[in-house]
Amino acid sequence: MRLLIIEDEPQLSQQLDQRLCAEGYVVDVAADGVTGLHLATDYPVDLAVVDLGLPNLSGLELIRRVRASGNRLPILVLTARHQWQDRVEGLEAGADDYLTKPFRMEELLARINALLRRAAGFAHPTLTAGPLALDTRAKRAAINGEALSLTAFEYRVLEYLMHRPGQTVSKTELTEHLYPDETDRDSNVIEVFVRRLRQKLDPDGSLQPIETLRGLGYALRLGGSGADS
Amino acid sequence: MTPSLTRRLLLASALVLAGFLGATGLALDQAFRNSLDTSRELRMEALLYTLLAAASLEDDGLTVEPPLADARLRTLESGLYARILDTDGNTLWESGSLTGMRWNGDGALPPGAQRWSRARVADDRALVLSYGLEWDDPAVGTGRFTVQLAESLSTRQAELSAYRRGLWGWLVAAAAALLLTQGLIQRWGLSPLRRVANDLDAIRRGQAERLSGSYPLELRPLTQSLNRLLDAERERGKRYRQALADLAHSLKTPLTVLRSRLEADPDHPAPPEALDQIERMDSSLQYHLGRASRAGQSGLAQATAVAPVIHRLLRALPQAAERDLQARVECADAVRFPGPEADLMELLGNLLDNGAKWAQSRLLISAVHPAPELLELSVEDDGPGISPALSEQVLERGVRADQTRPGQGIGLAVVRDLVNDYGGDITIDRSELGGARLRIRLPLHGSALR
Repeated sequence: MRLLIIEDEPQLSQQLDQRLCAEGYVVDVAADGVTGLHLATDYPVDLAVVDLGLPNLSGLELIRRVRASGNRLPILVLTARHQWQDRVEGLEAGADDYLTKPFRMEELLARINALLRRAAGFAHPTLTAGPLALDTRAKRAAINGEALSLTAFEYRVLEYLMHRPGQTVSKTELTEHLYPDETDRDSNVIEVFVRRLRQKLDPDGSLQPIETLRGLGYALRLGGSGADS
Repeated sequence: MTPSLTRRLLLASALVLAGFLGATGLALDQAFRNSLDTSRELRMEALLYTLLAAASLEDDGLTVEPPLADARLRTLESGLYARILDTDGNTLWESGSLTGMRWNGDGALPPGAQRWSRARVADDRALVLSYGLEWDDPAVGTGRFTVQLAESLSTRQAELSAYRRGLWGWLVAAAAALLLTQGLIQRWGLSPLRRVANDLDAIRRGQAERLSGSYPLELRPLTQSLNRLLDAERERGKRYRQALADLAHSLKTPLTVLRSRLEADPDHPAPPEALDQIERMDSSLQYHLGRASRAGQSGLAQATAVAPVIHRLLRALPQAAERDLQARVECADAVRFPGPEADLMELLGNLLDNGAKWAQSRLLISAVHPAPELLELSVEDDGPGISPALSEQVLERGVRADQTRPGQGIGLAVVRDLVNDYGGDITIDRSELGGARLRIRLPLHGSALR
């Protein structure tokens, strides 16, 4: 999952960057509104964390412009303003959630997790697709109740596919959302990871959870997937 | 209390009109009476001479030959009487109208004398003209006589009364017409003032932002100054709010950095008192900055429609979305809060947040004006409720009814402060839904409830 942080305070921005990277997210950082707007609209971002008090372009205006361009990107607002009017205006501008400073990092992580989930249509923090269950809080996957031993990157591939059940996800999209830098991107590596993931999810070949659409990409196909109740 | 302009003008013009028309009436009355008297005297003199022309000296004195000049002299008790006296005051001749009637006083006059007097004639007050003369007739001789003519004053009184009735009737009608006209002119002339008052009222009720009508030249300095004042007030409020937001930003971002630095290092856990102090700083900042940013009630602070704010807050309420709460809103479109939107949002936001935190599945929000000058807001939930023992405490800053639920215990303290700022009161009791009901009553314009 690729997150965009738009925050002008360098220390906070750095802390967020480190913590979110440690949680397995790919993180882009912008220090002002104009750069932030550019990254949010032109880059493959899954969620943006936006501070309201930004130089050049205020956070509220940035959110309005992102929404005006028809972008449904989930946006979490960070702000020092705790007044209800500010909160209402932020949400009406198009933000999806609102967190006031000083916040606990754990709370921010929980909100990001929830927003990503809600954007994919899941109401519960544990995503399910057929026998497959993904606990997004503990970052663990299980199949038929049995825990799977996945590497961090394998988990991220699976998480990304789980957030888009039934959709075709190209290799380019996967690399864009899972790798921080363009230089590291190699679609062959993705093939390797997907193959290893298939073996772990379906050692006897009875489930066939990840379908390969030649020339297009991958799609997760398991019964009962999609927005649960 | 100073009387209204309309009242003053009407009162003043009514007084002036009464004085002017009263004096006019008196003058006209006087003039009419004078002319009435003069014409009567002329008439009586003429009649006297006519009588003399018809008189002749007989052996037993001076008599007047019929027919008499005026028919009233022949008619009994007609009010016009004549007689002729000798030098001793004995009646030598009297007109037919005087037959059997008494005429006292008014003795004889020397020749050539004329006298106007009043006497009772035929049981009636009358004006009497007496004229002394010496009659010289070569055939009969010479004699001295006094000719008297009397006219009853009651006829004069009747004429005067008729005239006065007419005169004062017309004067009163004229006064009424003038007052009515004056009232209409005033209504028209003062209507711009009334419009300014209405427009100001609309601002107060939150239906307008500034005085936007076209006003007459004389009022324009006033309305333009008021508009400038309103704009400046609004601009000042905006700048103030911005300054507070900047202050909050510049204080809270370092706090965030500090906290996550303290929490981030798993090898060196932060001392709990450090985190506790950060918590306290945050809570103080939030409370005092919030307090500073509240406008409170001021003279021209505009009112805010309540219903839209409730719906906007409900959409922004995180619990409402996550827990699928059923929120019912009972609020007419006309319900108004006597202050700026920010204050109403802070008030209702904290109430709703509190309600949503405790509610199991249902919330009821209502806003009504139980009296014209009173706003009542209430938020009810179907949660566990707040015991009477706790209800005083939960309004204190930093006190949470349930320590296991999230929150800093600020929300209801903010509500209480806001309610105090607006001179209202807050009560906590049990809702029909089963949980707590927080009910707030605010006076609409100025005066405190108690």
